[in-house]
Amino acid sequence: MDENKKIIRVLVAMCSIFFAITAYLTYLQIFQGKKLMQNVYNRRNSEIEENTLRGSIFDRNGVVLAYSEKSGESYERIYPYEALYSHVIGYNSKIYGKSLIEAAYNGYLLGLDNYSQVFGMVDRESRGNDIYLTLDHKLQELGGNLLKDKKGAIVAIDPKTGEVLALVSKPDFNANSKWLEENWVSIAESEEALLLPRATQGLYPPGSVYKVIISAGAIEKGLDKKTYEDKGKVVIDGYEIKNAGEKALGNIGIKEALAASSNVVYSQIGVELGSNQLKRLADRIGMNRDIEFDIPVNKSIFPYDTMGKNDMAAVAIGQGEMLFTPFHMAMLTAGIANGGDVMKPVLVKSVMSPEEKKIKDFKSNVMYKIMEAKTADIIKDMMYEAVENGTGANAKIEGISVAGKTGTAENHLSEKNKGGEHAWFIGFAPVEDPKIAVAVIVEHGGSGGGVSAPIAKRIISEYLQSIEKH
Amino acid sequence: MFRKIAGYVPLSMIIFANIIGYTFLAFREEPYNSHAFLMCFIVLAMICISYTVIIKKRFGESYLFLIVSMLLSIGIMMIYRLDSGLAVKQVIWMLTGIIAFFTCYYLYLKIDKWHKYYYLYIVAPILLYILTLVFGTTINGAKNWIIIAGFSFQPSELNKILYVFFLGSYFKSRDKLFFQKSNIGEKNKIFMNRVLLMFITYLNVGFLALQRDWGTIAILLLVYLFVLYIFSEGYKFLILNCGLLLPTALIAYKFFYHVRVRVEIWINPWEDILGKGYQIAQSLFGIGSGGFFGTGLRMGKPYMIPFASTDFIFSAICEEMGTLTGVAVVLLYMLLCYRAFKIALNIKRRFEKIVVLGLILLIGMQTFIIIGGVIKLIPLTGTTLPYVSYGGSSLVTSFIILGILQAISRGDFSSEGENYG
Repeated sequence: MDENKKIIRVLVAMCSIFFAITAYLTYLQIFQGKKLMQNVYNRRNSEIEENTLRGSIFDRNGVVLAYSEKSGESYERIYPYEALYSHVIGYNSKIYGKSLIEAAYNGYLLGLDNYSQVFGMVDRESRGNDIYLTLDHKLQELGGNLLKDKKGAIVAIDPKTGEVLALVSKPDFNANSKWLEENWVSIAESEEALLLPRATQGLYPPGSVYKVIISAGAIEKGLDKKTYEDKGKVVIDGYEIKNAGEKALGNIGIKEALAASSNVVYSQIGVELGSNQLKRLADRIGMNRDIEFDIPVNKSIFPYDTMGKNDMAAVAIGQGEMLFTPFHMAMLTAGIANGGDVMKPVLVKSVMSPEEKKIKDFKSNVMYKIMEAKTADIIKDMMYEAVENGTGANAKIEGISVAGKTGTAENHLSEKNKGGEHAWFIGFAPVEDPKIAVAVIVEHGGSGGGVSAPIAKRIISEYLQSIEKH
Repeated sequence: MFRKIAGYVPLSMIIFANIIGYTFLAFREEPYNSHAFLMCFIVLAMICISYTVIIKKRFGESYLFLIVSMLLSIGIMMIYRLDSGLAVKQVIWMLTGIIAFFTCYYLYLKIDKWHKYYYLYIVAPILLYILTLVFGTTINGAKNWIIIAGFSFQPSELNKILYVFFLGSYFKSRDKLFFQKSNIGEKNKIFMNRVLLMFITYLNVGFLALQRDWGTIAILLLVYLFVLYIFSEGYKFLILNCGLLLPTALIAYKFFYHVRVRVEIWINPWEDILGKGYQIAQSLFGIGSGGFFGTGLRMGKPYMIPFASTDFIFSAICEEMGTLTGVAVVLLYMLLCYRAFKIALNIKRRFEKIVVLGLILLIGMQTFIIIGGVIKLIPLTGTTLPYVSYGGSSLVTSFIILGILQAISRGDFSSEGENYG
């Protein structure tokens, strides 16, 4: 009977619908379950939080950077170094929520992954997991002191492992919730953008440090064998480009040009490379791309679609419209130091259970390649020259070979008054066997060689001394 | 002897599940809660007595009631865990429901020619809708409640059954219900009949839209389309209806803020997690926090899910009893549908065939719409989970449906009876 056939078809349809529900439920549980459970807005966690001793956060050597203490009925989060880690660890407030590591590792810190939770022993008093960061507290503290009241950022990375050794952003704020909650409005509305983690989310024009990247393109094209005539200024497409102080450097190759930071030579190289190669270069080093990291990192911006000759010249000397985060710049510096391989940056080294068992161990691997090892070797040598006999002389350390590059990035403020440029320095040491790569920026600090290079020098020598001792 | 015992195996499983559940609930409190055992006893007593009557009096299909008993047990257990006062009320509703079940069973068999009262199935819903619009109260965004003496019920629940009866009367002698005696020609008659069928369907939908009862609209239209598919001649009329519904749905999406919001929440509930997306987000948090095995009764936090004992009870079950229990609940509904479809396949009398199918489609679609909604498979439209959610009118209506299904399964409808077609 035809009708019964149709009825069976409808029955099959109904069964498929129920099957779809079952399948979706299973999918939900397997692929989203954990995320849903640990979601910051899942109030079950805040109830769990009341009964859970949130895990502590340590530096790489076991210095306590954050811990929880019972105060009355609930726990209070305490940051013994107050503001120093406000742009790394973030804050943990009942009213304003959580940020950075406190937010990203909330599940671990509350121990939501523990089996006790899965099997429902929720209302038992429990302890979360501890987190060990890759940061070196001594280095971080030194960085904080060196920047002090200046605005800016310091990022130090171990080039071989991708471990972040220091991540300083200034200005910062006291992250202890009592202070935070009392001053929230003034913090949030401050003109200095106190809540902005400058190292990872601040965007700056790179200035002359970008010449290092351009050098890679130049070497690949064989331009390192060429000599250029530097008269102190050059006109490209009706637009005059000058060296600092209009200094004429004579007949030089790119090695000397980088050491002296010649705008005349590099703007010409930019035009020789051409729009396509410049864009490919920017793409290769990860411009406009998300960087996967333990805390959010802004994309560096390369906004050009079509480039005129003066755009090419401007980009080559780092004065175009492109913008970098200090963090990205440090990664690239580390990449050069590591023979062209950029390691995936790591901030959280390991997670330890309350029973001192290692739950998670974060290992790095190569994230992407920015240049061939051969090219990197030539650039290392050029950067060494820039510190030894060039603009980066202030970063020289006795007995250690340092490679680096200064940058003095023009911005809307520096157009009006001299000395308002952003001061950059990137560098690494020792050149033969790089142990640390650094990027320093001081907002409106003036010249990179004068302001940022000495800061980088202190960071590098402090770190190398400390690992010598160990 | 063995057969006799085997017949009681499913019942013993229900008893077992209830005893375990309430023991758990009783001992999770200190000092232990004897009230839970009383609860357990009353629920089981009602189930056992009813089931014995069904078996002894040879009511026909015996599995329908068993499946429903299991669903009810899970529901009342969950409601008891959320709010024991509410569970007591639900047990009273269960008793009312069982009385309604037996009443409808006898009534249905007693009155033989149900298709003759088609005008009642058309007029009564309209009266009820108007009554709701005039005297109705808005609860949870839908103005479909009437409160009489502190006693609230949803007339649209009853209207769904009446609409199915109307469909039965219409398709009993297909396209010949109206204008039987007029002489406007055979083709015109069919045309006018179909126009009236659509008109009455959309009149129902229109009233429901005025009450913003989107869930019931979806259920009614799905039942309508499925019945058209099975019983309408050819596919032209079905395609025409589908074709009409599509632009109507688009217009509704464009002009009704409520419809649009629901779709938007469905696509991305996380955008406004503390506002519009709150309910669905909390529901998903509950399911996610429970895992496959659940936190255990009284060990999770299902009270954080809004409307946990009514619309969102499925999420609460998933949180504390686990996603696997959730899957089991879905399978119970599937079994229920299967048994009812089997009844439909065996009857020859057309009116009863349509009524059985229509009623089980009502239950099935309602289940799909609410479970699919709370797990974010489809946009969420508020409606109860049949037999499980707390709610008097929903539970009693569902029992009325069960009573009619039971009656038809028992009745001698296997002969053609009369001609149709």
